[in-house]
Amino acid sequence: MAEPVLELRGIEKRFPGVLALRGIDFEVRPHEILGLVGENGAGKSTLMKILVGLERPDAGEITLHGRPVVLDGPESAIRHGIGMVFQDGCMIRNLSVLDNLFLCHEDPFERFGFLSPRRMAERARAQLEVVGLRGLDPRAQMGDLSAAQRQMVEVARLLWLSELYRVENPTLILDEPTTVLQEGEVRILFSLLSELKKRASIIFISHRLEEVVQHSDRVYVLKDGEHVATMERTSPQAPVAEVPRVARLMVGHELSAEHYRESMQSEPGGEVVLRVRGLKKEGAFKDFSLDLHAGEIVGLVGLLGSGKEEVCRCLMGAVRPEGGSIEVRGRPVRFMTPKDAIAVGVGCVPIDRRNDGLATSLDVSDNINLLVLRRLLAGPFLDPRRERENADRWVRECLIKTPSLRALCGNLSGGNQQKVVIAKWLAAQVRVLILDHPTRGIDVGAKDEIYARIRTLAASGMSLLIMCDTLEEDIGLSNRLVVMKDGVVVREIPCAARQKPAPVEVVSYVV
Amino acid sequence: MSATPFPAPGQSPPLPPDRDRPMDAVALKAPDRLEALRRRFRRPLELVSRGVVGQLVALAFVFAIFGVGTAGAYFSARNVLTILGLAGPPMIVCLGIHLVIVIGGMDLSTEGVITLVAVICGFLIKNSFTPYDLGFWVVPIAIAIGALAGLVSGVLSTAARMPSFIATLGMWWVAQGTAVIVDRGNSVKMLDPRFQDITNGDTLGLPNTILIALLLFAALWVLETRTRFGRYMYAIGGDEALARQAGIKVARVKVLVFTLTGAIYGLAAVILSSRLAASNPRIGNGQLFPAMTAVAVGGVSLSGGVGGALNAVFGTLIVVALNDGMVLMKLSPYVQNAVNGIVLILAVALTIDRKKIGIIK
Repeated sequence: MAEPVLELRGIEKRFPGVLALRGIDFEVRPHEILGLVGENGAGKSTLMKILVGLERPDAGEITLHGRPVVLDGPESAIRHGIGMVFQDGCMIRNLSVLDNLFLCHEDPFERFGFLSPRRMAERARAQLEVVGLRGLDPRAQMGDLSAAQRQMVEVARLLWLSELYRVENPTLILDEPTTVLQEGEVRILFSLLSELKKRASIIFISHRLEEVVQHSDRVYVLKDGEHVATMERTSPQAPVAEVPRVARLMVGHELSAEHYRESMQSEPGGEVVLRVRGLKKEGAFKDFSLDLHAGEIVGLVGLLGSGKEEVCRCLMGAVRPEGGSIEVRGRPVRFMTPKDAIAVGVGCVPIDRRNDGLATSLDVSDNINLLVLRRLLAGPFLDPRRERENADRWVRECLIKTPSLRALCGNLSGGNQQKVVIAKWLAAQVRVLILDHPTRGIDVGAKDEIYARIRTLAASGMSLLIMCDTLEEDIGLSNRLVVMKDGVVVREIPCAARQKPAPVEVVSYVV
Repeated sequence: MSATPFPAPGQSPPLPPDRDRPMDAVALKAPDRLEALRRRFRRPLELVSRGVVGQLVALAFVFAIFGVGTAGAYFSARNVLTILGLAGPPMIVCLGIHLVIVIGGMDLSTEGVITLVAVICGFLIKNSFTPYDLGFWVVPIAIAIGALAGLVSGVLSTAARMPSFIATLGMWWVAQGTAVIVDRGNSVKMLDPRFQDITNGDTLGLPNTILIALLLFAALWVLETRTRFGRYMYAIGGDEALARQAGIKVARVKVLVFTLTGAIYGLAAVILSSRLAASNPRIGNGQLFPAMTAVAVGGVSLSGGVGGALNAVFGTLIVVALNDGMVLMKLSPYVQNAVNGIVLILAVALTIDRKKIGIIK
């Protein structure tokens, strides 16, 4: 076995409230594709950020070719031949391809302080050919390229940098490269990667387990910040491991039922509050149907790109569906804007509460009252006393910890911000609430309060559609799961209290 | 394929024949006919929005209208030379401002800095108030004072992390006030005739001011397209966070850009005051808005990263040609103002890339 290119020993990383990585041992061998899998929040991105110098580990050491190194920034990572192609890309769209390729490392093309565009273009063409972009004009604007092309330009840049700094066998990290690609492009990507592997090592991160086991030489599984297993390819043709086995390792042990306040789970009522039939949106999902009963919690489960996000965006009125019908309490409705959805009692707690859910520069009271200002009028003017009373009521109701009603929401903790968002919807008396990753970035204690809140809301008759950070959370909280894959609903799984399905079983439908 | 100019140790082996199909064969394949159509028409549209084709068309349009409107008088060599002569000073100011706009900033200090430099120089050139007579040494001094003002604005917007809009607004007040304090409200006559000879003279039949402006344009064009510094400016204007991630020293580039802009204001101040043969604390008045209009009409995106020195030149030419034409047609100054506004709004409405901006403030 060849000596590893890159070795991490005992890496720990702590963020406020969470231990993101605990005692991670990780190695990258020369000329291999290393698959890295784990659920959202398992610590994959933290680990990779440490590798590219965006985060510093709290403990542990990193060695490159047997020598200890300190990676204290993207610059030093690049000099050591470690580079990452980020999921959302890190290319500057108003610059040309060649500008992006060489950005910040133009020295070889500089003479007497002036750059030679001709030599840069020549070199860029050669470099683009290496990643299979023959014929792409290096003067084209980055923003005009397809996602697949942008990705390969980034790979070309990393390879060029490793040549520039004379690094043998650089390490390229590809974060979810296939989510933005179409099927044909994915095939091409993998044949390219198997070529590139002759001169580099590749860390490949993906949620699509089939791809990972098919194309990786080894698979490294992370779970809750810990390394749980590494699987190795035994014969050149066979996949590294069976998908269900990897899935089981990723999801891991089952949590105690009470973690999700299962004893508080209530049975839904008979009335169908939200009835969706044949909803579709080109390129995202099709034929989506759902009956959401009063007091029911439905977990919408699927991978990124399964279409669940778009379904929710249609249901909250942010995106117009191209077909199908929505009925709220028996009345057919059409949502042109989120306002229409709010008017019939459908609200949404978005994933990015700082940008989409809250006005962080407004205070707690203003945020809570935002949707119900009409009710707080005295004549044509807002009545400060009623504003205060309404806000105060919901602050107490939702146990929001805030120094005062006039505290700015931007200064509250994540958990309390989330409670303000929920309070806003409760004040607006919605009947259906869509919760998009309600516990993302919230510490354990506040999570528990949110779980309890979700339970009491359901018990009071509100209908909830949730998408959670982990599958366990979905299973634990829901009365019923709706599993989506590639834009269609593949299965509904009942989740009555004390009769919860095993995560492994659910995963088998998801991937 | 292995003919890469910089072979590295462990150079990659040639790709096998089955890999020969380039990626873009798939990646570029238009998913449907509509997309193909869109692509076909995007190229010419891009030329309009990114180059100066649109500005050339606009300029031709202005000439056509006034050519007809003045029964040909507008086309006379004399009038064209008048336009060029008028365009010189605003073009220099516009070339200065556009640098800050390219990095995604804003500069409101223009008028104040120009005034301050002009009144200081008024006392240093042979004049009716002080015994000094520094001759042409005044030019580097003016540029240095302007650069210093720009440096302060740049440091305020980076080290003190203030929006450049506010930092330069403050600089405008300070410079304007300082200028009045220095000058005590006087109009200082300039007694060195060599300055007027240059700014009001011609070389090879062309007004000297436009030649100076064009020299400045050439220098900035090289800076923007042929140097690392230029690349970094556009990278910062495009996406500051990513530019920082790529390793660009963003703050340093920004401070240098503000300094350069200030230096150009210094140059403009000398030209403006020597054209008047006097300096006074009102000399910078009315410089900012026309220059800003020219920047926008020229196609320099106010959100940064798009458009360059060439756009600044054409923007100024359009605005100056338009106003010259309106004067020739004896339109009332109020109508002229309104027309300027309409042209500005139309130009931005046609060229702005709304995809890039989520919320327009």
